[in-house]
Amino acid sequence: MAFFEATHLQKRFGDQVVLEDITLSFEADQLSGIMGPNGAGKSTCFNVLTGHYRPDGGSVVFDGKDITGLEPRKIAGLGIARSFQIMTLFDEFSAIDNIMIALRGTVTRAFNPLYDLPGDSTTMDKAADVLAKVGLKGRELEMAVNLPYGERRALEIGVALASEPRLLFLDEPTQGLGVDGTARLADLIGELKQSYSIVIIEHDMKFLFKLADKISVIHWGQVITEGSPDELRANEWVQESQLGEAASC
Amino acid sequence: MSTPQNTPMLHVKGLRKIYQRGLWNKEETFRLEADFQIDKPQVVGVMGPNGSGKTTLFELITGSNQPTDGEVMCAGQNIHNVKYRERDRLAIHYHQSYQVRHFRKTKPSFMMERPVSDYPMVHLFDEPQFNTQDGYIGFMLDFFKRLRAEGRLVFLCVHPNEKFHVKIMREACESYIFVQKGQLSFADDYDNLLENPDVQNYLGALAAY
Repeated sequence: MAFFEATHLQKRFGDQVVLEDITLSFEADQLSGIMGPNGAGKSTCFNVLTGHYRPDGGSVVFDGKDITGLEPRKIAGLGIARSFQIMTLFDEFSAIDNIMIALRGTVTRAFNPLYDLPGDSTTMDKAADVLAKVGLKGRELEMAVNLPYGERRALEIGVALASEPRLLFLDEPTQGLGVDGTARLADLIGELKQSYSIVIIEHDMKFLFKLADKISVIHWGQVITEGSPDELRANEWVQESQLGEAASC
Repeated sequence: MSTPQNTPMLHVKGLRKIYQRGLWNKEETFRLEADFQIDKPQVVGVMGPNGSGKTTLFELITGSNQPTDGEVMCAGQNIHNVKYRERDRLAIHYHQSYQVRHFRKTKPSFMMERPVSDYPMVHLFDEPQFNTQDGYIGFMLDFFKRLRAEGRLVFLCVHPNEKFHVKIMREACESYIFVQKGQLSFADDYDNLLENPDVQNYLGALAAY
């Protein structure tokens, strides 16, 4: 059984069918990609996989445990972290504070009047480590709102990593990033890939082709094809498209 | 659940849909007639001018439109007798990009049957958006082939106005239905389809590709 398995997921909103029948699996220590054209159901799929929407049918199993319909916080508690397509940072807080809030147990300890959070060097060190991992060493005290867009995205990934996840989901991480920002993010994720199991939903095919071990293509609310970047690239139509040109250089 | 052997995947029996206007002096504005049977899994190309009845035909096959006469049997089951929300387990209509499933309700759902299948037997793709720049066409064609290999019946409706549309049809489809003014004609392969002067007329210069 795979590390993470979704079987026959269905999701409707009234007459609108967004997920027809989605069966997906992700392996541990791999980077799995989900891609699809606009309106294919990518974000809904992401929200069902991470528990933000309850599916109308089908099941989701993480590391042998059925997590279908579980509350998002319980899913997070099992070690699944996710980023959001829109930024979810505390703008008026420094980079390191944003990470500290997300560290396990920080919030509960902070309610303890006998506990001095800023004076806790272990928590501080941990948060600094996370920032270093996402390339933000030296930016610890910068307010989140003052960070450039690309660094905000990196900080957001840092917030997700702070919970020490066993599986990290990223929703359209290249959204809003320019060519440079996307290239830097690709380097960062290439690094993180060495030590985390990651799932990325992305419409930028080139980005995924560069990073993913396996890609599932979603369209019409179904997985229409799956394979390694090389397998998908071998398709004659892909060869003839701009993607084929990009993939070969 | 399985379907009995020798049951056609799709049997369209004496199907007629007539649209009229006027209350007293009824005047017929459109008439679609279809009568055919498809026994085996395959990918069927559907072509025809705008307003010829292609989408109406798809709506009748998927049970979202009520026929004036006749019936549609999917895997031996009359689709118009199946519960509305579950009709797409028999035949599913993929619109260009969005998936809205709306059914004209004629009687309460509890009086209707459950479908014999839990994954659609018949998949009807209504003018899917093809874009040569991103390579998705290749993945979509793979999907049609996979559905067929899994024993499904696939209809692919394309209104060719570019060379690559003809290429897609020739690559994906094994047989063809040409719809014009509500009448259907059938062809076993692309060459056979082109023998029809109406098709040549419709495709114009694209017929050469």
